[in-house]
Amino acid sequence: MQAPSLLILLVVLAFPLVYSLSLSFQSYSPVDPEAQGQWIGLDNYVRMLQDTQFGQAILVTLAYVVLAVALETVLGTAIGVWLSRLMRTRRLVTSFLLLPMIATPLVVGLMFSFGLNAQFGYMTETLQWLGLVGEAGVLDSPAGAFAALVAMDVWEWTPFIALMVLAGLSAAPQAQIQAAQMDGCNTFQLYWHVMLPMIKPVIGVAILFRATEAIRQFDQVYILTGGGPGSATTVNDIFQYRVSFTAFDMSYGAALGIATFLVVSVLAWVLFRYLNRKGEQR
Amino acid sequence: MTSMSTVTNTRAIVTGRRDRESGLPPRSRRRIVAIVTGIVAAVLIAVYLSPIVWLVLTSFKDRLDIFSSAPTLLFTPTLDNYIEAFVEKGFTDNLVNSAVVGVISTLIALVVGVPAAYSLSRISKGEGFMMALLAARLLPAMVLAVPLFVLASSLGMRDTYFALIAAHLTFALPFTVWMMRGFFLAVPTSLDEAARLDGCGEWGTFGRVILPIVRPGLAATAIFCLINSWNEFLFALVLTGRHTQTLPVAIPSLITPIGTSWGQVAAVGTVTILPVLIIAFIVQKHIVAGMTGGAISAE
Repeated sequence: MQAPSLLILLVVLAFPLVYSLSLSFQSYSPVDPEAQGQWIGLDNYVRMLQDTQFGQAILVTLAYVVLAVALETVLGTAIGVWLSRLMRTRRLVTSFLLLPMIATPLVVGLMFSFGLNAQFGYMTETLQWLGLVGEAGVLDSPAGAFAALVAMDVWEWTPFIALMVLAGLSAAPQAQIQAAQMDGCNTFQLYWHVMLPMIKPVIGVAILFRATEAIRQFDQVYILTGGGPGSATTVNDIFQYRVSFTAFDMSYGAALGIATFLVVSVLAWVLFRYLNRKGEQR
Repeated sequence: MTSMSTVTNTRAIVTGRRDRESGLPPRSRRRIVAIVTGIVAAVLIAVYLSPIVWLVLTSFKDRLDIFSSAPTLLFTPTLDNYIEAFVEKGFTDNLVNSAVVGVISTLIALVVGVPAAYSLSRISKGEGFMMALLAARLLPAMVLAVPLFVLASSLGMRDTYFALIAAHLTFALPFTVWMMRGFFLAVPTSLDEAARLDGCGEWGTFGRVILPIVRPGLAATAIFCLINSWNEFLFALVLTGRHTQTLPVAIPSLITPIGTSWGQVAAVGTVTILPVLIIAFIVQKHIVAGMTGGAISAE
């Protein structure tokens, strides 16, 4: 019963990956008559290590992932706790909160492009009214554009952490919570010392998921800033897109992709072990 | 007023025990607090959803209203942007492309992936396969975009449905297997054994006994497959051309350094997210499972 799936995945997934690996040892570009697939060994990988633009992109990606996911975790946990205390309106509030994360990512970028437009964006107007930005708008400065990206990610994905926390809280064993109440815990102690440790594994999984998703951030950045100004918002995937599909340096792009694949595989392995351990406990 | 007091009463019952312990404030004061908290929460949610609302509002504005400096919540709505984008320009074609690719890739993923998920839920081995599928699900699309682009170009298959559907299967199939395996795991194996005793083969057990039980899960999986394909951007960006462009790819082409028609951009954006947002209400229960690629079931 697994055979057809295996076959399809072999064709559309495994074969392209192997092909990409072989491409990464070649010099190939569809627009360069000099680069027609000569074997150049590890040259692409050596070039990667010396590429300061790539290093810059890695730094931007790291800063972006760490900042966005940290904010989402703190805010999301707080909102998750709040949701778990709502009785009648929980379903309604939840259905509003999940709208951003299910909306088309490119259109999410578009929404912020509208809101932050220097000429008619309502976010720009509000920020100008507060005296936080000048005439040129938010996206004109490197710091502003980067902050806008982080804010957009927090807007889109905080509910994800909140929903995970909510699910974790509803599954938490009630007996221990009641025991703590009997022992005279106040509400804060109850959440901080009793319930938070219970949902720690869920939060861990949520963070890992968010991190792997944030690492491959592309659509929203593509339409909102395009990686600029300068290289302020050139995250890893935008950088790779420029290498592969603007400069058409396909073999170097393949090498960058293989490197990313290795990093993500390690994350997936950690996540898988996490999920399995949780399954055994049940 | 009567409904409001009922609400407060329910609250009092639910939270009654704790209030009695902490010494309760006067009743009317508590009601005011509840109303104020409700209003603050409503305002916060309205602010939170404002980017979506603003996009939808803009799609009904004409050029003057979009660029007017006063905050324009009051304006005469117009359908011109929609008519121009979907009747006069070719955005209906993009809509059709999105639907075709979404439906076909979902069907293939279900037909192939659901039996695999069932079989993986019934054996203790297969961990390696599940792990590989999770890695595939988490893999950045950019890693596959390069080889798929080169392969599709050299086979002359760029700008065909086939290339884009194949690319979408790289995430639709792993997603289907993970998500459906979760639903199959919830079905006790004693049912399988009973079906076997009654003379059903492997496929008979699967098709006649187990599949009908997981039908709600199947529907949720199908819906998420459709949404994922509908929302996908990068593969569509590099693999499609004039004939097969999906809606998300068509949007950036409208934005130019000079003379962007923001009203039309907003109209196309609205049409892109509207079906997704409506469907999201239906599958709300499964949203955590859907967002984690089935790795976590919310129940």
